Amino acid sequence: MSAVIAPHDHEHDDHHDDHGPMKGWIRWIITTNHKDIGTLYLLFALAMFFVGGAMAMVIRAELFEPGLQFVNPQFFNSMTTMHALVMVFGAVMPAFVGLANWQIPMMIGAPDMALPRMNNMSFWMLVAGVLLLASTLFMEGGAPAAGWTLYPPLVLQTGAALPFAIFSVHLLGISSIMGAINIIATIFNMRAPAMTLMKMPLFVWTWLITAFLLIAIMPVFAGAVTMLLTDRFFDTSFFDAAGGGDPVLYQHIFWFFGHPEVYVMILPTFGVASTIIPVFARKPLFGYSSMVYATASIAFLSFIVWAHHMFLVGMPMAGELYFMYATMLIAIPTGVKVFNWTATMWKGAMTFETPMLFSIAFVVLFTMGGFTGLMMAVAPADFQYHDTYFIVAHFHYTLVPASVFILMAAGYFWLPKWTGHMYNEKIGKLHFWLSAISVNILFFPQHFLGLAGMPRRIPDYAVQFADWNMVSSIGGFIFGLSQLLFLYIVIDTIRGGTGEKVTDEVWEDAHKHSLEWTLPSPAPYHTFTTPPETVPSEHF
Amino acid sequence: MNKTKQLFAGTILTAIGQESARADYTLNLTEGVTKISHDIHDLHMLILWICVFIGLGVFGTMFYSILHHRKDKGHQAAQFHENTTIEIIWTIIPTVILISMAIPATKTMLELDDVQDSDMSVKVTGWQWKWEYEYLDNGIKFFSSLDEESNKARQLGSDIDPRTVPNYLLNVDNPLVIPTKKKIRFLFTAADVIHSWWVPALGWKKDANPGFVNEAWTQVDQAGTYRGQCTELCGKDHGFMPIVVVAMDQPDYDAWVKKTKAEAAKGPNLSDKSRDELIAAGQSVYEKNCATCHLPTGEGVPGAFPALKGSPIVTGDINKQADIVLNGKGAMPAFGKMLKADELAEVITYTRNALGNSVGDEIQPKAVQAMLPEGAAAVSESDEDEEEAEESPAPAVETKADKNAPSSKEALMAKGKAVYESHCVSCHQAGGQGLPPTFPALTGSDVVNGDIKEQVKLMKTGKGMMPAFGGTLSPEEFAAVVTYTRNALGNSVNDMITPAEIEALQ
Repeated sequence: MSAVIAPHDHEHDDHHDDHGPMKGWIRWIITTNHKDIGTLYLLFALAMFFVGGAMAMVIRAELFEPGLQFVNPQFFNSMTTMHALVMVFGAVMPAFVGLANWQIPMMIGAPDMALPRMNNMSFWMLVAGVLLLASTLFMEGGAPAAGWTLYPPLVLQTGAALPFAIFSVHLLGISSIMGAINIIATIFNMRAPAMTLMKMPLFVWTWLITAFLLIAIMPVFAGAVTMLLTDRFFDTSFFDAAGGGDPVLYQHIFWFFGHPEVYVMILPTFGVASTIIPVFARKPLFGYSSMVYATASIAFLSFIVWAHHMFLVGMPMAGELYFMYATMLIAIPTGVKVFNWTATMWKGAMTFETPMLFSIAFVVLFTMGGFTGLMMAVAPADFQYHDTYFIVAHFHYTLVPASVFILMAAGYFWLPKWTGHMYNEKIGKLHFWLSAISVNILFFPQHFLGLAGMPRRIPDYAVQFADWNMVSSIGGFIFGLSQLLFLYIVIDTIRGGTGEKVTDEVWEDAHKHSLEWTLPSPAPYHTFTTPPETVPSEHF
Repeated sequence: MNKTKQLFAGTILTAIGQESARADYTLNLTEGVTKISHDIHDLHMLILWICVFIGLGVFGTMFYSILHHRKDKGHQAAQFHENTTIEIIWTIIPTVILISMAIPATKTMLELDDVQDSDMSVKVTGWQWKWEYEYLDNGIKFFSSLDEESNKARQLGSDIDPRTVPNYLLNVDNPLVIPTKKKIRFLFTAADVIHSWWVPALGWKKDANPGFVNEAWTQVDQAGTYRGQCTELCGKDHGFMPIVVVAMDQPDYDAWVKKTKAEAAKGPNLSDKSRDELIAAGQSVYEKNCATCHLPTGEGVPGAFPALKGSPIVTGDINKQADIVLNGKGAMPAFGKMLKADELAEVITYTRNALGNSVGDEIQPKAVQAMLPEGAAAVSESDEDEEEAEESPAPAVETKADKNAPSSKEALMAKGKAVYESHCVSCHQAGGQGLPPTFPALTGSDVVNGDIKEQVKLMKTGKGMMPAFGGTLSPEEFAAVVTYTRNALGNSVNDMITPAEIEALQ
């Protein structure tokens, strides 16, 4: 249009089409660039990882010895609740959305996300939601202290914080749904012509499936918390037996959301692992199509197993048996994945850079979390395991040395592509070994504690639990401090890293695996403005 | 030389002493003391070994690969990327393993659920933060909360080393006492929020949901003390509501029942006391029942639990305060149901004249007793009745109808009322209105107003949540309660059944 009004300005205008990032801080507020928004998501997630981690340190400090030393029980309960909410909704989920923003367009040969303005909005709504949630810490009556599951009637005893926490959940839900819509729209509409669905990298596949999960479950959670809101303020009795309601109804609704929700955090993890392991094994991924089908099966099963979180609420026998059998089935597709990763490594030519180390630790430790998951699927055994430290150990094994380790691996794997700088491999490996050892000192003894009879969510315990709690706390402190190394590495790499010039493919023959390694390092502000002609074949 | 020896012996003794003073920790699930807990332990070990075995296979393969298939060893990468045969094999093998796990799991699950043919029933109610036990067969009812010593040691900054407290956080003032070698049915419910009742040695835990009733059962063959805790987050003192079950052989249990009933029959001491006496006694009542929320200083927790210090209620009209203490309000439980009149009078007087308040008045136990609902007095009376009844030779195990058993309608109605109050009232409620939808109303019920034989049959064999009373009640009690339900609680069928007829129906 400006070309019509001022033809002599043509040259300038052409240049304008190709502009780089905006100058100044305002760029980070109004940006619609997928790479900028990816960076914002990742940095926000990293910050929240430390906030949630600080809360975990409070928990482990209080549990270091029997007796109450630092905090009162109510604040302790707030800490366990907020630690979980911040880690789930503030750290792990946003981190994967950040990776999706950076990587999906580059991996499918698209210039940006399909809906860039909504992309910006979903990020800032996330920030608003998490800040609102954090603000409840300073409200009269304290932050929510009924556990991240927010079970009524207990959660209805929350002080002034309750409506704020519920509104925060609404904001986080809207943000997630918008992010998910954006990812689905991008993958369905913006792939390079040669990029058929069954040629997409596994990371893209797992995110596509995860996005559908998110759209299905976030409204369910929003509905559940809205019923809490009306029960508390508008005299409804959804969850109050005195008015004809049922507190267990909430648990059914919550876990219909909650079980797929935990898979929202693990499916993209599978995707990243399936992306990293072949690169360092210098082999194609084993069983690409069975990986895709296994992911889809796990996603489907996640909708029909929710009540295995509720074996003790008093379900009819048929319900107990059905949910036990259905849950045990999950072991099959999950097993297929673990076998495929092992077969990918088999007869490869492996090297062990930091991303590969974290990925191997993920496969081993996630499998251990899977084993304890299988044990708890067995309903009668769960009558003993339920709500003890055994389950705490289980879900931390599937979240920390699984999701979090893979997020670390992804950071090391793609930072050179994003920044054009190489991270310090020595410190990276130090970070890995400290994390991998301390995470086991932290969580492995919790299996013993749970089996020996220590319930979860208690601020103080009988003295026979003292030894393992102390070991666990020591592991926790080492793990917490080790993560400062990661923070250092991220900052150091952004500021130049080792100074080594990184090549376009960064990792040997990485361009055979995925499109982003065909781009220059650092990746330019705009990439694939015209789609690539060819895409890597999974069977190079 | 001698000194060295002494020192050496001393060191060893200290070391041994410390070793035994250290509570022993365990690494694995307890085998427990019931058949179910043994079955669950076996199931646990089976799955654990299956997992270990699979783990060794997978991780072994992976680590072999990590050691040998390395670039720095000059290994050339193979390029295979699928193999249908092996993929089918590693799908089928786990399926077979899962089926082999599901079969024993299903058996144990069915066993866990079988509450039929129990010898006695205990109703367990979870409160923030204590347990209430009610023996449905003999009317014994009491609260069980954290013992005083643990409670003192667990306060923030108490300076008491938990290691010096015996059974720290796992001890209560009044344990649940059960007989050994008897199948005991538990009914779980809650008064405020969800709790969960877990004693690892019994092999299971069960949620106590407010407004609903869950069932479970146990049979302990060995006398002993078994400890556990609440396992569903229930608020700030969730970690401080332990469970202690004492299993006693039948004679010891019978003696305990007798003693407990005698104590309960005593009732409150209603004699007048001076203000100072009331205040002095009120302090311990306050510390045990009120301090968890309103804090030992009476300062409360702003936003959650109001301060008593300077509170308009505590410093205002004493009768209004007593009303709130007795009947509860919001999160404040109704203490009229938990404490005796004298304890209530003491604690009310204490709050008004301590914790920074100095109203300078008192309330006497008699005045509190007058404010309590009639039910409180009625219960203690009926307890006394049963006391007397027990002196006649073992009526509960009587199988033949006594020749002298009352068979007039009036006598049956009177007896039926007592039977109803000890066996039926906790579910069908005092007025027979029930707790729909879980417990049907008896008032106007089709069954109670229908064919009397059908009602007898249903009560004998049980139905759904309704237990089988055939083995629990004597024919006389049975006839009495049937007659009672048909001619009271708003029903007037105007018929009756005699103990002899009940026996004939057996």
